[in-house]
Amino acid sequence: MALFLGLTALPLAFGIGYSLLHSTGLAGIGSEGFTLRHWGSVLTGSEFWRSLGFSCWVAACSIGLALGLALAAVVRGPERWQRGILSWLIYLPLTLPAMVVAFLVFQTLSGAGFASRLVYRLGLTGGIEDFPNWVNDPWGVGIIAAHVLMATPFFIILFSNLYQNERLGEYAQLAATLGATARQSARRVVVPVLLRQAFPTLVLYFIFVMGSYEIPLLLGSQSPQMVSVLTIRKLQRFDLADMPQAYVIGVLYTVFVVGAVVFLLRKKSGERSLV
Amino acid sequence: MLRKPLKYTFAAAVLFPFAFLLALSFGQNWRFPAVLPATWTTDNWHFLLAGQSDLGQSLLRSLGISVGIATVATGLSFFTAKHIAYHPWRERWLTVAYFPYVFAPVILAATLQFYFLRLGLAGKVGGVLLAQLFIAYPFGVIFFTGFWNERMRAMEQLSATLGGNGWQTFRRVLVPAAKGALLVCFFQTFLISWFEYGLTSLLGVGKVQTLTVKVFQYIGEANIFYAALASVLLVLPPVGLLWVNKRVLFKT
Repeated sequence: MALFLGLTALPLAFGIGYSLLHSTGLAGIGSEGFTLRHWGSVLTGSEFWRSLGFSCWVAACSIGLALGLALAAVVRGPERWQRGILSWLIYLPLTLPAMVVAFLVFQTLSGAGFASRLVYRLGLTGGIEDFPNWVNDPWGVGIIAAHVLMATPFFIILFSNLYQNERLGEYAQLAATLGATARQSARRVVVPVLLRQAFPTLVLYFIFVMGSYEIPLLLGSQSPQMVSVLTIRKLQRFDLADMPQAYVIGVLYTVFVVGAVVFLLRKKSGERSLV
Repeated sequence: MLRKPLKYTFAAAVLFPFAFLLALSFGQNWRFPAVLPATWTTDNWHFLLAGQSDLGQSLLRSLGISVGIATVATGLSFFTAKHIAYHPWRERWLTVAYFPYVFAPVILAATLQFYFLRLGLAGKVGGVLLAQLFIAYPFGVIFFTGFWNERMRAMEQLSATLGGNGWQTFRRVLVPAAKGALLVCFFQTFLISWFEYGLTSLLGVGKVQTLTVKVFQYIGEANIFYAALASVLLVLPPVGLLWVNKRVLFKT
């Protein structure tokens, strides 16, 4: 157990402890003695809140789109993902690291990317400048596209396994016997069960996307930046005054994420225990 | 039901990234609006893998780090998970194991950078190994907790009843029963380490150049052909492991 705590809780405790000391001026290069100045400037400034909001936006859009695509794919043809060529192919995208996915999206969706070249050849655009700004854009379109590419196959595998384990095919047949149309059975039986069972995974994936680093680093804009990128940018700036702010953001982000996970998963387990 | 054209479209979409990366790795001179590179050559591969660059070293370094992490994390977590699974506070311990995942790895690295610098671990392979263990080991613990169930406990008790000592039970009963799970955990922790970038780049301070760090370096230098080649090298082991997973593990 000592080894377990030493490799899990201890690094986190030390990390948060040092972040608190550095951010309150009690440790680090140029520490000035106890001060809440850095906390004040992060909490009253707009940069952190915009970054947190942008991270939530990216995570919500990515999970929402991937969820819709995966549910449509599994509900329309669940057996296709259990056997045959698609059941093998669906695992292939999981072998792509985030860094490579970001590189691919950049080379495909940027102004001089593959998609832009194709539409130019088809006569739909007159050059690079006519192609939509999907990479390094303020709405995070490129970041969302990269996360959707990574999340959709993962959700298809998850839902396909849940479909089989929860024997949803039999429930759908029962619903059909009782007079439900295919759409009604999907909307009232299959999708609610899939979403309910996958809820903890969806929450954790949401947190994973919010904290992602490589993809927004390559595909994000200068402002707003996702939380991880903002933290590291402040940490690596030459201006030492920015370093305490990086630690403030790190601590605030951790509090936000732990709070969200505990609230959402506790609420869900509470709902479950009532049923 | 997915119709055939939709099935082929999906298959093409899945295979496109791999074909695109491979094509770029053999390309040169790709100016707008050309859809494909003007020159096709094996020069990129020769240059990067024939000792004229340090990509080969990065490949070996990444393999060494990932195999090391997978071996240590799988071994340690197998035994730790047993203690946790049979502990009265099982759920509380498991919650602790989830903490490193809630904390974004790169933010964890940022908060630990001070300690790594003070201990002389920053910029060292040993430091990167330790930092990656903070992520891979809890995964193994979570993974194996399901393995240590009542059935396993009954098997251990049966072995003891039949006269087997602790070592014999471990070697003859537990390891054969856990073979598949051990392999899957080894593959998964290998991939966690293999895919890692933020934590490695921050605590490796650019000196521990793994393949992911190399890909980012080539992208930063706007050398898309070398970046594509390094990406192909990065993707090959996971595809190989997937093939082994599907062929061997799920058929036995």
